[in-house]
Amino acid sequence: MSSDDFDPMVERAFSRSPHLADAEDFAKAVETRLKRRGRLRTWALTLAGLVGGWMAVTQSLGGMMPDRAPQTPAVGSAAMRDLQLAAFDAQGSLQAMLDQVGLVDAGATGMSMFWMACAALVATAALGAVKLFQEI
Amino acid sequence: MPKSLRDLHDVELAALAAAGGRREFGELVRRHGSAVRGLLRRMGAQASEADDVAQDAFIQAFEKCAEFRGDGTFVAWVKRIAARLYLKRRGREARYVEAIADEGAMAPDTHGHVDLDEALKSLGEAERLCVSLCHGAGLSHPEIASALNLPLGTVKSHVKRGLDKLRARLSPQPTSSGRAAHVV
Repeated sequence: MSSDDFDPMVERAFSRSPHLADAEDFAKAVETRLKRRGRLRTWALTLAGLVGGWMAVTQSLGGMMPDRAPQTPAVGSAAMRDLQLAAFDAQGSLQAMLDQVGLVDAGATGMSMFWMACAALVATAALGAVKLFQEI
Repeated sequence: MPKSLRDLHDVELAALAAAGGRREFGELVRRHGSAVRGLLRRMGAQASEADDVAQDAFIQAFEKCAEFRGDGTFVAWVKRIAARLYLKRRGREARYVEAIADEGAMAPDTHGHVDLDEALKSLGEAERLCVSLCHGAGLSHPEIASALNLPLGTVKSHVKRGLDKLRARLSPQPTSSGRAAHVV
């Protein structure tokens, strides 16, 4: 027997799959895992959508209210004050950028755009986390 | 009258699975689960490890089902996924050195025949992996070299030596009655 006609024989031997008695159990285990992953993904996407949507809606509605001047909160921790100041700084920068490119209108202030961008980022991050989880 | 799942071809089932059909994918797992698990065992995985990796491979196949275009067979596609997952899982960073062969020479059974699974046990670890990846998972020599972090020439020689040993094990053995027993 030459090596040329031996290789197909080996491939045939490899192509014969062994009969495993628990084949049905294995298939059920895979289906169960698929169902669990599908349910988890649905929950994660729903949650991300709800959080993102809630933030976008509340900030859009907030943006339609009369502008409030930046105020340093009278009470609260130093960290909270720093966070608010940073948010106002970001608002100012974004407002200036939007003014420059002419993208701002009466209904969408820099702050509302800022928060909508945050909401979009949160939703994107949640999607990324779901994708990462699936790959793991 | 709608076809039952059993009547559908793998490619049709894969297309339905790509659209989210878990039942259709379950049918594919029923058809090919044993083949994938068998390959992993032939590569050297213990039964429980082989089952874990095979499950992961099928889950990954379900997620990527849209990428299966029916160029080859579905089972070959999943086998490749499973083989890669197994190698990744074992974290084969180290290069394979000349291995281990000649351990536990295996005698044919009383009827003079040896099956493939038994014959593979007579190969060194690297030879067994290379032969299984080549003939079981359908990977090319360069793909195996890349997956195992080995030079191409080394992979080729592992495959050749492994096949030579398999040939010696699987060749029909003369029985006491003088008739050759055939490979199962």
